[in-house]
Amino acid sequence: MKSRYFAAAALLLFVLAYEAKAQFRFPMPEFESGYKHPEMNTPLPARIPAAVDITVLFVALAVTAWAVLKSRSRSMVFLIAIFSLLYFGFYRKGCVCPVGSLQNVVNAIIDRSFGVPIIVMAFFLLPLVFAVYFGRVFCAAVCPLGAIQEMCAISPIQLSRPVEITLGLLPYAYLGLTVLSLATGTGFLICRYDPFIGFFRQGASFNMFLTGGVLLLMGIFVARPYCRFLCPYGVLLRWASLFSKWHASITPAECIQCRLCESSCPYGAIVVPTPDDRSVDRRTGARRLGLLLLLTPVIVGTTAWTGMTAHKLVARLHPTVRLAERVAAEEQGRFAETTIDTDAFHAGKQMPAELYADANAIKQQFKYASAWFGAFMGLVICGKLIRLSVIRKSSDYEADRGACLSCARCFAYCPVVGPISQSDLRQECLDKHAQS
Amino acid sequence: MIWMAAVAVAVVSGLFSLIVSILLIANYVQVQAITPLDNPELLKLRQQLAATPDADANLVTQIRAMDLLTRKAFFTSQAHLKMGGYLLLGGVAALLAAWRTAARCKTRLPQPDVAPPRGSYWMSRARAGELVGFAGALWVVTALVAAFFTRLDFPGTGVSAPADSTQVAQAESAAAYPSWEVMQQNWPSFRGPGGYGVAHYTTAPMKWDAGTGKNIKWKTEAPLPGANSPVVWDNRLFLSGATESAREVFCFDTESGQLLWRRALDKLPGTPDKPPKVGDETGYAAPSMIAHGDCVCAIFANGDLVSYDFEGNLRWAKNLGVPDNHYGHSSSLLAYQNLLFVQYDQNKNGKLLALDLADGHEVWAINRQKISWASPICVNTSFGLELVVNSEKNVDAYDPLTGQPVWQLACLDGEVAPSPAFGGGMFFVANDNAIATAIRFGANEQTPKPEIAWQWDEALPDVSSPLGTGQHFYVATSRGQIVCLDSITGKVAWGQDYDNGFYASPVLVGDRIYAVDRRGTTYVFKTGPVYELIATSRLAEDVFATPAFMDGRIYVRTEKHLFCIANSNEP
Amino acid sequence: MSEKPKIGRRDFMRVAATVAAGGGAWAVARRGDEATVWQLDPAKCVQCGRCSTNCVLNPSAVKCVHSFQICGYCDLCGAYLQPGAKARDTGAENELCPVGAITRTYIEDPFYQYTIDEKLCVGCGKCVKGCNVFGNGSLYLQVKHDLCVGCNECLIARNCPAKAYERVPVRTAYLLKTRDNGVLVPKLNLGTRLDSGTGKQG
Repeated sequence: MKSRYFAAAALLLFVLAYEAKAQFRFPMPEFESGYKHPEMNTPLPARIPAAVDITVLFVALAVTAWAVLKSRSRSMVFLIAIFSLLYFGFYRKGCVCPVGSLQNVVNAIIDRSFGVPIIVMAFFLLPLVFAVYFGRVFCAAVCPLGAIQEMCAISPIQLSRPVEITLGLLPYAYLGLTVLSLATGTGFLICRYDPFIGFFRQGASFNMFLTGGVLLLMGIFVARPYCRFLCPYGVLLRWASLFSKWHASITPAECIQCRLCESSCPYGAIVVPTPDDRSVDRRTGARRLGLLLLLTPVIVGTTAWTGMTAHKLVARLHPTVRLAERVAAEEQGRFAETTIDTDAFHAGKQMPAELYADANAIKQQFKYASAWFGAFMGLVICGKLIRLSVIRKSSDYEADRGACLSCARCFAYCPVVGPISQSDLRQECLDKHAQS
Repeated sequence: MIWMAAVAVAVVSGLFSLIVSILLIANYVQVQAITPLDNPELLKLRQQLAATPDADANLVTQIRAMDLLTRKAFFTSQAHLKMGGYLLLGGVAALLAAWRTAARCKTRLPQPDVAPPRGSYWMSRARAGELVGFAGALWVVTALVAAFFTRLDFPGTGVSAPADSTQVAQAESAAAYPSWEVMQQNWPSFRGPGGYGVAHYTTAPMKWDAGTGKNIKWKTEAPLPGANSPVVWDNRLFLSGATESAREVFCFDTESGQLLWRRALDKLPGTPDKPPKVGDETGYAAPSMIAHGDCVCAIFANGDLVSYDFEGNLRWAKNLGVPDNHYGHSSSLLAYQNLLFVQYDQNKNGKLLALDLADGHEVWAINRQKISWASPICVNTSFGLELVVNSEKNVDAYDPLTGQPVWQLACLDGEVAPSPAFGGGMFFVANDNAIATAIRFGANEQTPKPEIAWQWDEALPDVSSPLGTGQHFYVATSRGQIVCLDSITGKVAWGQDYDNGFYASPVLVGDRIYAVDRRGTTYVFKTGPVYELIATSRLAEDVFATPAFMDGRIYVRTEKHLFCIANSNEP
Repeated sequence: MSEKPKIGRRDFMRVAATVAAGGGAWAVARRGDEATVWQLDPAKCVQCGRCSTNCVLNPSAVKCVHSFQICGYCDLCGAYLQPGAKARDTGAENELCPVGAITRTYIEDPFYQYTIDEKLCVGCGKCVKGCNVFGNGSLYLQVKHDLCVGCNECLIARNCPAKAYERVPVRTAYLLKTRDNGVLVPKLNLGTRLDSGTGKQG
């Protein structure tokens, strides 16, 4: 292609280029007919002021908290969820969202030159602050990702506890991978693999649309799969919510152990009263716990070492490492064809030696980051096992503070109406309970 | 009642959503196939049209129709995707609303579940613990197995090592070949020893005239045409020539000009039936030969590479593969110690090769990305011996014995034919339609780190290679300009316009520079910041090749002849 | 069931945690007061075509813009015509743009005006490549901010082989080429409209 240009250009250039300025091949035309250049159109982005979004978020969180804790109304929560879906989802196109904002904040901690706008900071902090006081009201009705799944949760099934708890390891892994990705400069994984934002902004890759669609279809039966088994921000909300001052409670007053709410939670977040018939005695239990605590450093060490060993695999996530591999492979003749990326690389100023040096530096970063990730996962696993071994006696049906999404579904299942002492309803329920 | 209505709506909207989804997916798949951006059908038609010299009306109509079709289809499908998206959203919203309503209608009063069996609570907890432990173990094992099979394949530090050759073998074979000093005393390759245009002997004649025969020692015919420059070793001069069907190497006696022998190449394994198309001026024997001790090598446009001894006995021959080169392969050969360097840069799969002169086997090879028509030079710098090559975009320097890249600088552009110049520890590269760059190195560095000293973009060469003298760099262009630039500052010391352009590269002989223009007129001028023309000599024949300079002799190849110029009062 | 001091301590811890987290995060992360947008540097762009295929939006938010002051208004336009075009007219067999987004208008001998219809342009960069190879480089790709949704992580930026994308303050959203010095000038965006009356993108 170039040779044809060369021929044509040579003729033209022989005449023009000799006098032309170095930068431009062809001189500025002189128009005799009075023609004027049109101006260029450079439209500004239309941006909603940050204050508006922050206010809407605050109000939505506050109203949800009120709906869950004070007026205990499921329909109110559902309506707010629809509003959030429409506003934060379809209108604001799902970005800025608190789930993704955690990346920006973590990145700012790691990389001091990275600035975080006030709206991102607010979106990160407000749901967490509300969680510390009111529980996961953000998840209940304000998160657009949660809202779209909530719409689909029509006939939820109950998953078995073991499966639920094991799958609950995944959000920790996702959080760990996100931080690892930020620490090594690989990019924003949460934004990249957000399954629902494609629906909000009406644009995404085919694979992400497919993933989103599959998750929503699944969500009809396994309610809120992303929230329970993937959301990395949910880990932070869970931790915050564990210390919440006020939290959604199934019963408005006292629990009468009528068991009517047992299968009311689609998210398996109801803590049942501990039965007395423990097969293992206290001492054995304590010994087991002790053993587990002793083994924790070993397990964490093993997983950290595993992470470090697997760092090469993880390093392939980084585009520079992939480019270095491809450039080296082409240089060594393992590939005959070049790719767009290697063509662009060779057209640029960087030497392959520098690229390899960069890639090696990144590989080293991945070594340490993967080790930390491994250690983190080891801690999470041990934490879960310890939690399963520690028996906290509970006599009432209550919401699991960490897992409860404050969706208010269970309220309708509880027959207790307000503070009760000697009401007929209570007696009726107790009778029913005694019969079954 | 409501329930039935809700179910009906749900079913209808569900089906609707399903149909729209399928249509959307089908639309997406289809638009991938007939995208106007890289449509193979359309591309084929366009290629057909480009191949024909005149616009075939039928073909034109076909292309126009196909182009309109793909564009229409593209924009229609975009609109459909958008509309479909909204419809799907609406359909799904209706489906969900209806389904919920239906489910609501059927809600039963909450019932306590069947009481779980005794001990199930504890079993469930225990199971959960087991499962978590199992998941953890599974993750560890998978990660370790995957890690075992993963290798990151790029060099740990530095760059990919080419094929190795042991130092001992190198030294042994090297001893059999001429040293750097001996090479200096001959004209072993294009632009002299090392290939950067500096003659060892300063006794060349300054004036001659082909018309009167003044100082013309002998003139003989060059049997086959070729753009390659003569190479001389002791009293032997070598040329190659080729046409579409013939490829030959010639050996002349330097005293008498007698053709001592000529050898025609046989068809080798890999030699194509017809050579590739080459430019008219390039020809089939553009690269210059090398003469090295007791052997000579020549390479031709079809990839044939051959080595003879000084008596014309074939040493070895191979075909390197037809070069993917749209003007024709022109990079000249270069030799050092036991290695023959072939700059085989192409559009794709270019290589820089080092072959063993004894039998032609590959000692090292570097994959190269960009095409080039320039030739390699081998220079002795303060960092050691470097093999320096130009290509589109880059100047690369390698260790000649091992092929290890030493440095690289991205400072070129366009289709590069001029080879690098070297002088005063600096390199100078230039190309027409691009820029000229002077490259310098930090004085106190351990390893050479190239940096751009200055750049210049006025009169630029596209065939003739520039020359470095230490204080200045000289550029001779195809438009007939010669410019002298100060090496350190890049300022123009002087510029002269001549009647005809220069294809031959200027050569430094002592304190004089010889520049031969396309019509065969040689201008001899003094080096230095002030222009001083010493002599003008005419050959009255076209000259593309760079002359060879030996003691008191100049050998010039013209379009049809070979001249030897010497002062007539010499024996 | 719980004594007052315990509640008080927990409350205090909550408040402290909130303030600490908030204040700490605030202090650690420098507040980027300015809104930032994604910007493509035409000097680095290699016209690989990924701008049209990688944007999450369809069609892409990256479009070709034309710097008229640099354009040579040539009859033989490297961006409008296919290489080796048989004739210099508006026939589809001669057009380089796959979606026909460039309009060629005769002005006066020997100058032709080339304008880009943004509604059609997909940002494939073929005309940019043509203009760079044989032309003044007056056509180049830019992110249009009335279309761009401003993703936290731009998919095009991630896949750009020349690493030509970065986040810049809104003030300097567009990198515009001018003839003054041939250097790319980050222009103060005034959202100017055309005054040529053609209604098409300039």
